[in-house]
Amino acid sequence: MTAPEQALADGILGRRLWLYSNYHCNLVCTYCLTESGPKVARRELDPATMINLAREARELGFTGVGVTGGEPFLVPDMPELLVELSRVLSVLVLTNGTLFQRALFERMAPLSDADVTLQVSLDHPEPEVNDLMRGPENFRKVVEAVPALLQRGIRVRIATTLEEENAEDMTRLCALHRRLGVGDDDHVVRPVIRRGRAETEEMGVVARYLDLEPELTVTADGAFWSPFAPTVTRGVLDTDLLLTRTVQPLQRPLDAMLAVVGARPEGADSTLNIR
Amino acid sequence: MTPRTALGPSAAPRIDLVDARSAPLLARPYFAAGDPGPIVASLAQVPELLGPTLPFLGSVLGPSWISLRDKEIVILRTSAVMGCRYCTEAHTVVGLDAGLTLDEVRALRGELPLEDAFSDAGERALVNWCDAVAQGVEADIEQARPRLGGSDAQVVELTLLVATTVMLNRYATALGLPTSRDVRERLVREGL
Repeated sequence: MTAPEQALADGILGRRLWLYSNYHCNLVCTYCLTESGPKVARRELDPATMINLAREARELGFTGVGVTGGEPFLVPDMPELLVELSRVLSVLVLTNGTLFQRALFERMAPLSDADVTLQVSLDHPEPEVNDLMRGPENFRKVVEAVPALLQRGIRVRIATTLEEENAEDMTRLCALHRRLGVGDDDHVVRPVIRRGRAETEEMGVVARYLDLEPELTVTADGAFWSPFAPTVTRGVLDTDLLLTRTVQPLQRPLDAMLAVVGARPEGADSTLNIR
Repeated sequence: MTPRTALGPSAAPRIDLVDARSAPLLARPYFAAGDPGPIVASLAQVPELLGPTLPFLGSVLGPSWISLRDKEIVILRTSAVMGCRYCTEAHTVVGLDAGLTLDEVRALRGELPLEDAFSDAGERALVNWCDAVAQGVEADIEQARPRLGGSDAQVVELTLLVATTVMLNRYATALGLPTSRDVRERLVREGL
């Protein structure tokens, strides 16, 4: 077993490989790490590369692949790509949940038999507050989409990104996701990270690389330390958490990641529980 | 053979030079002691290149069994022949610090006849070798080899030094790497 394989097996490195399928999005969220929106330059990983990376990842000992963006479902043939990826590794795909019209639902039917979970963003139990950060009609579209996805046998998690934690709001939000059919184990809560648009807006918590779990993340720009790393601030890619520009063979960024992990000071584990 | 072009002023670099704040994880150690200079700051755009490239450059350009004076003659002359402003200016200062005189520096930069500055025939042969290898003309190299003398080991190391300098000359010129302020100030003080 190679050193990176051992590190993956020991849980020193995260066992899910993240892939940024794209950077563009139909929404313009106030805290978006990647300053995504409808008008940003199209930077995408092509599907064949994503599948090859997943195959390499499986050989190296990764157990899952995460697909994020941007909004992955803006990529043509994303449902078909997810099915293909799920034949290689367990898939988690992050989505804003606003694009699931009838035609897309029909194409997503095969996902019910595939090892694919959708993680849908929902930030607040009040539509007005939620939509203030995520855009008009976001709340309505999400609360309609989640039960519809579950009804079709597709696994769903809810992800909540918080600027400030409020116990009462959280209680109501949890009641809401349970009503929608998503259990507590499938509800992920995390803070706004002060990178990308959140930095410009002076929102969220400052996270050093030591605060972020090492989860290898591949984008069209290279390989990064974590899915919170390939951020864009004022239109410029942040390179502070870049590992390598070379992404294939995957062993290369994985070796770089291990070198960085090895150079971390003792006891410098993550403190913010950002996942 | 004389240097190709007069040296022009620094223009803006053709790429963004990475600073400490945006330094990728593998590049951070190079920024720990301050500004690492434009070669590192440019290579940091592709951080996985730093690991293999810098030790190589250090091995070829840094201290070795060939004297520092000979090495700086080679680097400065090659850089001047190749018309590389960045490397010529930087190694004018390094050359002076290595013990080259102002006249020797000027001669290597093509501003004085070689014979006026270098009385040692061996050093003139070394300059001649640099010119021939940098220009890459087979007939010139053939002529320059017997004059250079030395062991095969010396020829190998000196030739790798010329070749590596040519590589850096192309790199620095193509990317428009800027001369650092302290080098500029020193050149002004020295009247260069």
